[in-house]
Amino acid sequence: MAATASEGPFSRALPWLVPLALIILWQVSSSLGWLPPNILPAPTAVLQAAWVKLQDGSLVDNLGVSFARAMSGLIIGGAIGFSLGLLNGLSKQAEMLLDPTLQMIRNIPHLALIPLVIIWFGIGESARLFLVALGVFFPIYLNTLHGVRNVDPQLIEMGRIYGMNNRTLFLKVILPGALPSIFVGLRFALGVMWLTLIVAETIAANSGIGHMAMAAREFMQTDIVVLSIVIYAILGKLADSATRALERKFLAWNPAYAKV
Amino acid sequence: MSSQPTGGSRVSLKDVKKAFGSNVVLQGIDLEIPAGQFVSIVGKSGCGKSTLLRLMIGLDSVTAGVLDAPALKEQAARIVFQEPRLLPWASVKDNVAVGLGEGQSGKAADNQAAAILDEVGLKGREGLWPSQLSGGMRQRVALARALVSQPTLLALDEPLGALDALTRIDMQALLEGVWQDLGFTALMVTHDVGEAVALGDRVILIDHGQVVLDLPVNLPRPRKRGTPEFAALEGQILDKLFGDDPRAREAH
Repeated sequence: MAATASEGPFSRALPWLVPLALIILWQVSSSLGWLPPNILPAPTAVLQAAWVKLQDGSLVDNLGVSFARAMSGLIIGGAIGFSLGLLNGLSKQAEMLLDPTLQMIRNIPHLALIPLVIIWFGIGESARLFLVALGVFFPIYLNTLHGVRNVDPQLIEMGRIYGMNNRTLFLKVILPGALPSIFVGLRFALGVMWLTLIVAETIAANSGIGHMAMAAREFMQTDIVVLSIVIYAILGKLADSATRALERKFLAWNPAYAKV
Repeated sequence: MSSQPTGGSRVSLKDVKKAFGSNVVLQGIDLEIPAGQFVSIVGKSGCGKSTLLRLMIGLDSVTAGVLDAPALKEQAARIVFQEPRLLPWASVKDNVAVGLGEGQSGKAADNQAAAILDEVGLKGREGLWPSQLSGGMRQRVALARALVSQPTLLALDEPLGALDALTRIDMQALLEGVWQDLGFTALMVTHDVGEAVALGDRVILIDHGQVVLDLPVNLPRPRKRGTPEFAALEGQILDKLFGDDPRAREAH
């Protein structure tokens, strides 16, 4: 089924048709005056805003700041989630000690902590890092735990029979077996990461894409607000594509991820 | 480049008993298995045949009695399960290398792996993933993994049970050929009486935790099914398995 859909130039263009049509419709509506610019500026106006912001350097600066925040939060929260997921997946005692508490905290929407986080950290960099790290922690933790738990016990018995020590068993059997699930967690985490960052930057920040959008709102610069939204969309898509590339590289053995 | 004969090692059991708690699974097992023999073990589900196999290669310990198998002390006993149990994320070659154990790599290990893959008819498929192989080929990889460390004792726990009928016949011939080339002692549990007679130098029938039949098979190899001698041996085993119940025999 997938084989027939991926052949020919027409099929390759197929996913782009709807977005392209929407943009054309949007442009035409704006040009004809159906859409007033203070509601939604024309795509050309958004492009123009992008050009202006690129030239004065503020777009690149804000983009860099947001990207650095997202990645730092992902690395901190992801590393903690991954480690705890492995620990609780490998040790029954650790799971009994920690998992119930973590499951309880998981049920609190992490954005509900914003007032408390502002009191703790002020509106500085650490507040945003904390929120992003907390947001990405849970998807990575849960899926790592699930992945480790669901490694085929027959493979583990096979490894033991062939004399693998704990380290080899972990590196050759348990970790690769858990990897597909860990990647699912990573993709969830990337979604949460951008969402948290947008909220955190919108509420309290003096730099970053979210701040750029909020500052533009005060002057009714809808073109820059829309530009910010488009940039978030592009960043999200890039993160997702990067994960897909990693999956294709590390999960090539799995027919579900192999290149068609 | 092919594998050198490894030779076999003997297994002897004297009045062996195995119990899990109060549940006695095997009792009064006396067996002398000479080096290099191919032993087929048959019996109904739950009769204790797989437990006997696990005892003989050291996966379980005996509750009472004496088990003497030099291969266990030399760590030269291996097992092939009904499922290939290959690592899906490792290539055919890397899966075979698992059988070499810790810290075995480099040129010598590569040569050993290549030789055994040649022996089981998988030359040229070293780089494939298990998901790219058929069921029969996966089981060949599992066999190569078990044999790459040159065991003198090989246990086979219904090794062909998950394969389709035509692949089974193919694999029986392969198994016999590999055993003849390498000379290890083979212990094969199967529920297929025909397969037991086709491959075994002797067929051991287990019922309710005891050896109820120990039948030598003195037919020339490769054996032809359907000859009167073959059918007579099969009949003898089925008689012992099902007694006089003709419907059960018919079903088999």
